[in-house]
Amino acid sequence: MSPQTALLLTLLAPLATAAGIAFFLRRQGGLAAAFSVGAASVLCACAFIAINARGDGAITASWEWLSFGEFKVSMGFLFDDVAATMLAMVSFVGLLIHIFSLGYMKTDKSRARFFGGLSIFMFSMTGIVLADNLIMIFVFWELVGFSSYMLIGHYLETDEAKAASKKAFIVNRIGDLGFLVGIVTAYWHFGTTDLAAMEQITNAHPGLVNATIAAFLMCGFIGKSAQFPLHVWLPDAMAGPTPVSALIHAATMVAAGVYFLIRIVFLFPVEVLDFVAWLGTAVAVYAGFCAYAQNDIKRILAYSTLSQLGYMAAAFGLGYPGVALFHLITHAFFKALLFLGAGSVIHGCHHEQDIFKMGGLLKRMPVTAITFAIGVLALCGVYGLAGFYSKDAILIAGGLGKTPIFILLTLGAFLTAGYMGRLFWVAFLGEPKSDAASHAKESPLTMVVPLVILAGLSIVGGMIQLWPESLGGLIRYDLDHLHHAEGYDAMHHEVLIFGTAAWVVGLLAALFFYGAGAKEDRLAHKAPAVFGFLKGRLWFDELYGFYVAKVQDRFAALLSFLDIFLLKGLIVRGSAGLVALLGLGARSLHVGNIHAYVYWFLGGLLLFWAFAGGLL
Amino acid sequence: MTIGLNAFLIVAGLLFAIGMLGVTLRRNTLVIFMSLELMLNAVNLALVSFSRYNGTMDGNLFVFFIITVAAAEVALGLAIIVALFKRRQSVMVEHLNALSR
Repeated sequence: MSPQTALLLTLLAPLATAAGIAFFLRRQGGLAAAFSVGAASVLCACAFIAINARGDGAITASWEWLSFGEFKVSMGFLFDDVAATMLAMVSFVGLLIHIFSLGYMKTDKSRARFFGGLSIFMFSMTGIVLADNLIMIFVFWELVGFSSYMLIGHYLETDEAKAASKKAFIVNRIGDLGFLVGIVTAYWHFGTTDLAAMEQITNAHPGLVNATIAAFLMCGFIGKSAQFPLHVWLPDAMAGPTPVSALIHAATMVAAGVYFLIRIVFLFPVEVLDFVAWLGTAVAVYAGFCAYAQNDIKRILAYSTLSQLGYMAAAFGLGYPGVALFHLITHAFFKALLFLGAGSVIHGCHHEQDIFKMGGLLKRMPVTAITFAIGVLALCGVYGLAGFYSKDAILIAGGLGKTPIFILLTLGAFLTAGYMGRLFWVAFLGEPKSDAASHAKESPLTMVVPLVILAGLSIVGGMIQLWPESLGGLIRYDLDHLHHAEGYDAMHHEVLIFGTAAWVVGLLAALFFYGAGAKEDRLAHKAPAVFGFLKGRLWFDELYGFYVAKVQDRFAALLSFLDIFLLKGLIVRGSAGLVALLGLGARSLHVGNIHAYVYWFLGGLLLFWAFAGGLL
Repeated sequence: MTIGLNAFLIVAGLLFAIGMLGVTLRRNTLVIFMSLELMLNAVNLALVSFSRYNGTMDGNLFVFFIITVAAAEVALGLAIIVALFKRRQSVMVEHLNALSR
């Protein structure tokens, strides 16, 4: 099989499965699940065939898709090192989450729709990874948006899920508008949207790099990766099934924003990079604070995801796209692990999601608890685990680049350890605090095996020297670059001390402050003002709600009035009325009396006569 | 004694006016039809007199055409009126007002 065929198969297998499920298997949940997992396996196998066949260069392929005169849109693959690294992660983590879903969704009555949604998502996500031009990225970008919408709204009988899916879709549209404008300006500026061609142009003429284009394209990233000020959709998106949160809203789709930035890094001038770095840092700290006021296990993880996306953006903005990609990959491992662990807990506790109603799960669900603990430690950046290497590199990059960013990111690391500690101590230790928790049992094998595999990856995934040679070229290059930067050794020691201090202090402080298996939130009890402030999350939702209800709705009402009055009333109804009036007049001429017609005829004759004689 | 052109034209005009009034005022379709023929023949008379006055044959030529057309028209028109009577048992104009309803 040629590598091109393998890549084509990675796209077509999930697409064909999704179509098959949509058309024929809507009522056969079991069969749909089997096909979907099969497609994910085919995707994974083909991805690794293509990765092995890649060698040093990039695998490319291109087909013309549309042409309007001079303007041609192509669909193609640019399977370079970055795409290969991303595809390896997406296909493998995706497969594990598919397998987990077999157990998690076993009793769901619309299982077929769920697995169809997963397949269409895998298709769209693979499309983004492989795409070789901006327009193709945009097409698949919208497709992941659609699949995200569909899967968030899976429990469509609840109002929460309906509202959350709409919110995610609409907020993403705002970012995508900027993305679209960015594509148009890029085409206008460079005459192409092909990534490789644009890179050549900017390499040859660095003066052509343009802050406007970069800023517009960045809007797409802000929407999809849920950065300021469009971050509001991600926590609400937790209304979807937990495997969806793991796959789409932690490991792959939200990270696609960062991946997109890495793909177009050559378009970014320094000022936009600085902006991205500050934006990411702000989100990292902000989301860290927000997580303290959440009791829902999935929402805590959602804010953690926001915060880690901020780290990736910061690494990218500091000029190390490879480090951002590194953190993206390691984060995908341990955050998918944490979400699936949360899914296992929710499954075991009969859909109880409040951590203050859990407790004592370490004894009742040992495998889940231990793998979850590994995930927590990896996320906190404990020495030797996956998160350590990538977070370490980001902090060093911050320390060498901008000291304020370094300080804020270290604070972010401390906050991370604190809220993850709160989650773990309260939910897994102590005594069960509800009937659901006391009857919790370990999850079935289909759910436990992915947890164990992901836990393994969370332990060793950060050791880049263990990765296959064909993956992670950009990561190695940027890490190498970082290691040879001036002042690296001193900064490395500093980061080692501060980073370790952050997670040790954070975890222990959480243990002493909240206590193992606490029954209520001590912060809410002792300092309700602080807790209320954190729970308010800077009132973004309220602000947007106010804007939509008071400003936008009124403007829309005005437009609607103009529409009804001017267009519908005057122009549409008006013209119809005029014609009807003419018809009424013309009809009254038809009196049905032959003599009247004779007079009309005579009148007409006179008129002609007058006209011919020049009287008229 | 020769009669002047004006006399012919006056007679033709009177005939035409009578025909016209017949068409506009009478109610029986048969009579209206006869009035139409009267108008045609008024025109014939005018054409013949012009032809005679000018000493050319153009007018006479027209008259032959008009007579032929009038004959054809009479054949057709009478047939229509007969068919109308068979269907409606009336040839009066006031009964032929289907378009007003």
